[in-house]
Amino acid sequence: MSLFGRLYDLTWRRVTHLGGVALLARSVAARLVTPPLDMREAVRQMEAMGVRSTNLAAVIALFTGMVLALQTAYALEVFGAKLYIGEVVGISLVRELGPVLTALMVGGRVGAGITAELGSMAVSEQVDAMRSLGADPIRKLVVPRVWALLAVLPLLVVLADVTGVFGGLVISTWELGLSPAFYTSHVLRLMKYGDVFSGLAKSLFFAIAIALIASYNGLSARGGADGVGRATTDTVVAVAISVLVLDFFLTKLFLAL
Amino acid sequence: MSDGRPVVVAVRDLHKSFGANRVLTGVTLEVRRGETIVVLGGSGSGKSVLLKHINGLLRPDSGTVEVLGCRVSEMPELDLVALRRRVSYIFQNAALFDSLSVGENVAFPLREHLALPDDEIEARVATLLGRVGLTGTEDLAPAELSGGMRKRVALARGLALDPEVILYDEPTAGLDPLTGLAITALLREVTRGTGATSLVVTHDLAVAEGLADRVAFLTGGRFAFTGPLALAAEQEGAVGEFVRAGGVHAREGSRT
Repeated sequence: MSLFGRLYDLTWRRVTHLGGVALLARSVAARLVTPPLDMREAVRQMEAMGVRSTNLAAVIALFTGMVLALQTAYALEVFGAKLYIGEVVGISLVRELGPVLTALMVGGRVGAGITAELGSMAVSEQVDAMRSLGADPIRKLVVPRVWALLAVLPLLVVLADVTGVFGGLVISTWELGLSPAFYTSHVLRLMKYGDVFSGLAKSLFFAIAIALIASYNGLSARGGADGVGRATTDTVVAVAISVLVLDFFLTKLFLAL
Repeated sequence: MSDGRPVVVAVRDLHKSFGANRVLTGVTLEVRRGETIVVLGGSGSGKSVLLKHINGLLRPDSGTVEVLGCRVSEMPELDLVALRRRVSYIFQNAALFDSLSVGENVAFPLREHLALPDDEIEARVATLLGRVGLTGTEDLAPAELSGGMRKRVALARGLALDPEVILYDEPTAGLDPLTGLAITALLREVTRGTGATSLVVTHDLAVAEGLADRVAFLTGGRFAFTGPLALAAEQEGAVGEFVRAGGVHAREGSRT
């Protein structure tokens, strides 16, 4: 195939993918708030997505908080402003790093899981079986996953925020010689409710994007185990790109509000 | 079989392509109430594609599909739900839900469509599993079952809502000959017991011999023959070759 042909093919596949996710979003929106909701499946997904991701979210946030404290202290020392480390660490974590890193890491893990599970169901005709039994796969499979991720991702972000700030406290106390009370008071001094809410609001958008991309890739997987593998890899890449692109636009939006 | 019984499945001039691959090129078929028709054909001839059109899982490029008086080929997905309660589809690989137990798989259509108390559902599931010879397997996971057992569970799930039409996709594929015969005998029992109209897609002539009122031979995207199995063996060309290669001979219609 010529270079032009390949470019055309690649562009067409991306446009088709985006269109597919948009159509799925429309179908999900129509079912998200109308009964019945499969609560049992939603709770099962919350456990799989949330409880089993807590360690990952906490460890990543802890070390991010510690590294952020070290780097910030290094940069602020130049201006003799090392004492303001609490403000920088706190604001950076709750507005940006907490939601984005959690969405990237947990989204990769959860998104890959959703695509692998739904992809396996699609290639083994379980999704067709569901349709043939008169059940709606979007309502049975996608809607509970969207609700579950909407519920657990903000909670994981709160966990990441708290753990990250704690990581900053560890470094401030042991490495920089600041008292825990001093660090904590500086973290809280500049932080407003709006900072926390903007981070949590971002996580809701990330949750919807992750669940939709992963579900679409899973349901459209074809070609056996190989196809499921490719779909899963696509999900990890697409989730990472989507979270970062969405983050830019949401940051612009929230700063303008 | 063209007696006074009403036509419950009518496929007319059905065309379906996947990209450049033209799978169905003008399929026409009528099945009457209570009739069992076996669709024969080689691998990749489009038998399963035809079956999926009858249940609305696939949409035709052109042509029409009517089932129980409903124009399936033009119905929106949501309207198909009511029809699918009456038309059961038994998948080639059973397509059991991996995350559910055997009992939950069989209970799935009951929970989806009928507002029954749990003990009533459990009783019905036990009866259905007993009917396919799998009493007491409710708590097993699909992964713990053999190929034959999976097919039986799929059959129990497919019978849960007392369907008027049952579509079987390769019911004996992947089974050893003895298990295949046992499944064929079970299907015969089911088709006679329920009086349901059955379409069976297979390349296994033992299934055709055991079940068929008529066979229809699909080749080149359309039916090359429709009629009794014994007559198929007398045909020239692909139909006769296929049937005779399976050991079915003309006139007596039985295998050697």
